[in-house]
Order: sequence, then C-alpha cells, then structure tokens
Amino acid sequence: MTRTEILNELKKVFAPYTTNKELLNSINDDTDLIRDLKINSANLVDIIIDAENKYNIEIDFDAADKMINVGSCIDVIREKLNQKNVEYR
Amino acid sequence: MLSTGNDIVSLNVINKTRTNQPGFYLKILSDIEKILYRELEPAGIPFENFVWLLWSIKESAYKYLQRTKPSLVFSPTKFVVEQLQLPFGYNITNFEGIETEGTGFDNEAVLKSVIIVGSDKLYSSSLMYRELIVSVVNGNEDFENTGWGIKLINKSDPEYQSNAIRAFLVDRLNRLFHVDGLIIGKSTHGFPIVLKDNVEAGLSVSLSHHDQMVAYSFQFG
Repeated sequence: MTRTEILNELKKVFAPYTTNKELLNSINDDTDLIRDLKINSANLVDIIIDAENKYNIEIDFDAADKMINVGSCIDVIREKLNQKNVEYR
Repeated sequence: MLSTGNDIVSLNVINKTRTNQPGFYLKILSDIEKILYRELEPAGIPFENFVWLLWSIKESAYKYLQRTKPSLVFSPTKFVVEQLQLPFGYNITNFEGIETEGTGFDNEAVLKSVIIVGSDKLYSSSLMYRELIVSVVNGNEDFENTGWGIKLINKSDPEYQSNAIRAFLVDRLNRLFHVDGLIIGKSTHGFPIVLKDNVEAGLSVSLSHHDQMVAYSFQFG
C-alpha cells in the first residue's frame, strides 16, 4: 500500500475519536494526534487496536510508542505490512 | 523542581467490552500488574475500572516526569505500578454534586500506589467513583502540599474543556493564595504553567479532561 492509501484509510480510523472533523480532511505527516486532532490520550490504545484490526497486523509496544503523529502512524503500519508480506513469502 | 501529574477518566464513555479483552488491556498493563487486581476484586471493583485506574496512574506519572524529561515517551507498559493499596472497608460510591476540591488526601477514601519508571520511584493517590477515576502523582508519599479538584461540565468539546479547567483552577488558586491576575499558560514543552504578570509562579500544575469531566492538581512548595 502507498502512503496515500494508508493515509486515506487512517482518516477512517481517527474519525470516531477526533472532535476536529474539519482538520481530518487535510491531515498530513506532521499532524499530531493529541495536539492537532484533539484525540484524548485515553483513545490512543483504541486507535492502535483499530489499526491492527484494519490491516491484520500486530503493533508491538515499541512501535506503538512511535505513533504520535500521522506520519509516524503511516511509517509503523507500512513497516508492519512489509514484515507481514515477507513472512508470507 | 516542583512537579505534579494528574489524569481523569470518565467511566461513562469507556468501552467496557473492549477493555476486558487481553488485546486491549495488555497494551496498558503487564502480566505482573494484572495480579494487582486481586487487591480490588474483593471490593467489587470491575476489572475495567482496574485497567483504567492503572491507565490514569501511568498517565499521571508521565505528566509528572515530562516536566523534567521533556523528551520522555509515554509507553504505558514501561510505567510499572508495583503496589496498589485499597483503604480498609473500601466501597465504591457515586460522585456527589458538580465539583469537589481538596488539599492532600487525608480525608478521602484514596487508593495509593507506587510507580517505577526506570530509575524513578513515584507515588500516586487516586479517587474512584462509579462515574470517574482521578489520579494524582507526586515524587514522594506526602501529598500535604498537593491541591486537586474535579468538576463535571456541560460539554465535551476540547475548547470548552480547556476553558473550563483553566477557570476552575484559577478560581481555586485565587481563593487559596489571594492573588489576582493569574493566567494558565503553556511551557515551550507543552505542559501547563501558572503566570503572574508574565512571570512563572512558584507552583506546578497539571490539567486533564475526559468527556464532560475536568480535573486539576497543583504542587506548591
């Protein structure tokens, strides 16, 4: 999946948890989940679980720690998808 | 350096089913910490409350340490709650009224814990009601110089929450220290600071909000 494809899917993951719906349409790599999207920190685990379910991947603790902005979320998901593809080969 | 950290969790909006799934709670607590639930289970506290209690303790500890370690990353499983003490004869009750405030926790039915984060040892005091959990973290066991407050508000949008908690805290500080013109600002690292005439006041504050609830803590010398 390309970064743009993951970005578009991530918007659906973030949607239930953000109150800043307007910004959701224009998010970029630098958009901070808590500061910009106003996602409550209590929902960060929900986002990780939803991303795991959507992409059928497992996001470990070290990877989850990095998911503080949109760009790092995409990086983690791409890395996990690539690992999964290597395992299937 | 004075520091404080607090967190509030609205139990009205947590996903109870999801919280009880290992895939969820094992991202917050370790297998070792799971054993601590045996301290709470006899008091009839649901497992989901236990998970969110530990979350609030860990988040508060993160906020406490962030002041001296701005680059610290919040990784819940690396904040280890080692002890959890429930008061004798503890019964969970409803949150009465709209707001409550205090200094220290001597008169409260408080759950106490010890948190280890790398080489740091921290202490928490938590209040748990049927509707909410509030935790405050300090660098020692003494909460005598720790002020705290909890308030129910009418809206859950971030701007309203932010304004409500700032007004709530400033009102308390005015009453306590008899100083007007206090403003809650933000440090360059993002944590809240109290300003008087654009100069940082000598106390440390922490703010939190969740759903239609806000809470503060402050530590004074």
